[in-house]
Amino acid sequence: MKSQATVRIGMASCGIASGAAPVYEELRSILAGESSVEVKRVGCVGLCFREPLVEVDMDGVRTIYGDVTPEFAAQIARSLLKGELPESHIVYSDKAEAPENAVLDGQMRVVLKNSGIIDPEDMGDYVARGGYKAAKRAISEMQPEKIIETIEESGLRGRGGGGFPTGRKWRACREAEGDIKYVIANGDEGDPGAFMDRSLMEGDPHSVVEGMIIGAYAVGAGRGFIYVRNEYPLAVKRLSKAIEDARRAGFLGRRIFGSGFSFDIEICRGGGAFVCGESSALMRSIEGLPGVPRVKYIHATEKGLWDSPTVLNNVETWANVPTIIEKGPEWFRSIGTEGSPGTKVFSLVGKVKKSGLIEVPMGMTLKSVIFSLGGGILKDRTFKAVQTGGPSGGCLPASLLDLPVDFDTLSSAGSMMGSGGMIVMDERTCMVDVARYFIDFLSDESCGKCVPCREGLRAIQKVLHDLTGGRGRKGDDELLKDMAERLAETALCGLGKTAANPVLSTLRYFPEEYAEHEDGYCRAGVCRGLFVASIDEGLCVGCGSCKALCPAGAISGRQKEVHRIKASACIGCGSCLDACPVGAISAARRDAP
Amino acid sequence: MIELSIDGKRVTAEEDATVLEAARAAGIGIPTLCYHPGLPPDGNCRLCLVEIERKGKRELVISCMYGARDGLVVHTRSSRIWKARSFVLKMLLERTPDDPLLKRMASHYGVAFEERFHVESDPCIKCGLCVRACEENGTEAIGFAKRGWEREVSAPFEEPPRDCTGCKACAVVCPTGCIDVEEEGDVRRIWGKDFRLVRCALCGERFATEEELAHMGLEGDEAKYCQRCRKMLFSARFLVGL
Repeated sequence: MKSQATVRIGMASCGIASGAAPVYEELRSILAGESSVEVKRVGCVGLCFREPLVEVDMDGVRTIYGDVTPEFAAQIARSLLKGELPESHIVYSDKAEAPENAVLDGQMRVVLKNSGIIDPEDMGDYVARGGYKAAKRAISEMQPEKIIETIEESGLRGRGGGGFPTGRKWRACREAEGDIKYVIANGDEGDPGAFMDRSLMEGDPHSVVEGMIIGAYAVGAGRGFIYVRNEYPLAVKRLSKAIEDARRAGFLGRRIFGSGFSFDIEICRGGGAFVCGESSALMRSIEGLPGVPRVKYIHATEKGLWDSPTVLNNVETWANVPTIIEKGPEWFRSIGTEGSPGTKVFSLVGKVKKSGLIEVPMGMTLKSVIFSLGGGILKDRTFKAVQTGGPSGGCLPASLLDLPVDFDTLSSAGSMMGSGGMIVMDERTCMVDVARYFIDFLSDESCGKCVPCREGLRAIQKVLHDLTGGRGRKGDDELLKDMAERLAETALCGLGKTAANPVLSTLRYFPEEYAEHEDGYCRAGVCRGLFVASIDEGLCVGCGSCKALCPAGAISGRQKEVHRIKASACIGCGSCLDACPVGAISAARRDAP
Repeated sequence: MIELSIDGKRVTAEEDATVLEAARAAGIGIPTLCYHPGLPPDGNCRLCLVEIERKGKRELVISCMYGARDGLVVHTRSSRIWKARSFVLKMLLERTPDDPLLKRMASHYGVAFEERFHVESDPCIKCGLCVRACEENGTEAIGFAKRGWEREVSAPFEEPPRDCTGCKACAVVCPTGCIDVEEEGDVRRIWGKDFRLVRCALCGERFATEEELAHMGLEGDEAKYCQRCRKMLFSARFLVGL
């Protein structure tokens, strides 16, 4: 008898972008009508660097194939028909050595437990893995008070970045006066390089819906909104389907699970403004007003959406809720650190070998995340910094690699958890330029309401552009520090208050680079014209790659002989630094003319 | 009534007063640009920052929106507040270097214009008083457009606003006087639109536009006289009755 097998094709946006659709078509057409094999479209399993991915689950043993082409997909399909598994392209295996075993086995999947396993558009799949059991139990067996206690005891903190205790927020909302209350899921992920929330919404939309049902029942809300940016069409589609299916099954709508509790969810699509991730701006956007933050001396739990008590949590926070109800607060507390229990999903990107989506217990060190799970730095270059927390976060240097990652350690190091973006940088990254990049981004995304953010960011931006453009002045570091500190103190909302972080953290950990830029030198060879390329003659192999790329014709040398750079002709563009396969070229100071 | 301490001085205030209202009523000055007592506060200029004591720490808050509470301890003068206000004024001055009010405030805080940060001049400081005045009037003819550095007050589609009644409340509340109003004969031109001014049947003063009177639902005799004459005529009726 043939074995029973399930074939899963990772078809979140990332998978589709790298060509999973034709892979799926190939598998489906060959395996159509084969009763022993089920072909499923699933969300992201996180091994983004090896996509398209095909997982074969045969008799409970998982094998994941990476970099799958339609041709190789056909090979997988034909092998399966014979009850066999191909031997090549294996990236992960339950029972055998495989290159990426460490990446998956080193994680702990709580929020992403279904992502990449279930078909996100099939509610049956979610229910089969225990879905909606927690909601049913909460509504039919638990008092709202008990649910809030459970969440409080679990120590769950907001995954959107702030890290505010979720239980306390729920309690404040429950105790706030008002007949009409709302719950909102923030899926307006806008950090460059972050895709945790997207993957979750695309891979396991029901977990967000279920969390919201439980939360709404606990705080006494009758209506919920999921705010998703419109640039996430697949997330919108899958969430819409999930809401529709849940409604049809009686998990949403009137008298849920036959109880007296009624609750429904709507999707609200955002226009993609970064500031709309800020809670008060997000609520204005749902109300149909421009996404402009408000002064928040009265919390949203008292006066939020349409001035009614509102609980706003990140989608990842919501997705944690069903599991906590199911397994209990003690179980949740046993994961992570004392101050930050549970796991956190990170999108690991930048100059790291294995970029992708990972979920680890809080308290794992940066080193483990970047080197064990992320496989280290691309081209085996030297690690320089990791940027956490998105544009409002900060850059942490190599000396902090042993820092355990949780809400409090990151804040005290001058960065923040943010929603979980991690951008790894190597020696070829200029920290002043990184600060410039994030300030450019934030200045673009500032709503312009308050003076410090609108005008102050622009002034900070001017100094950073001066520094990276060779127009820096002595004392610019002090000036930047002063302006950034004032900005943090005077801005109106979270965006403005944290907008100083990229500058302050790079100033704190990489002061020498600022000082060098004041003198017109960029050691990373990034800022155009602020260095001359210099060849280490002992390392040069004479391959000619640099010479071929040099736009200024400043490099001379014969094949297999040491090449030389004419400093006066070098325009400091950095092309040769990237081209050199042996790392023989570095950025040297430009002599005074 | 509640009692709070501002700069060591005991101050009483109404229950729903803000720190700014409490301070000003007690004769303690706090600078503002986006605040107007007749309009809802917005808290965007950040000039009215003061420090409050909370949980043993001093925290910067904006006094125009922070509610006064019984026992609250407020400081309106400290080097931290001075630095914060100087920063805000400096940033405003870089964009609006020629405004007399800003120049006066800046010089008080020892802040000078610096060519390095100057990108372009703009007489508007985006305080939004005009937008709020228009909202309060129930016309909502103007609003903010664009975002960030490009944020600007504008009529929809930058066309002469359909709903404008020419009341010029926007221009009256503007702290930098950057909203153009021209009056010639019986015509007022504002936001690129002409309005006919109505003369008071008694004193002859041009007291409102036709659109304004229509928006307020005034007609007949009520629409004929300016506010002052209307008051006089009305009270005269009582006097005659006596």
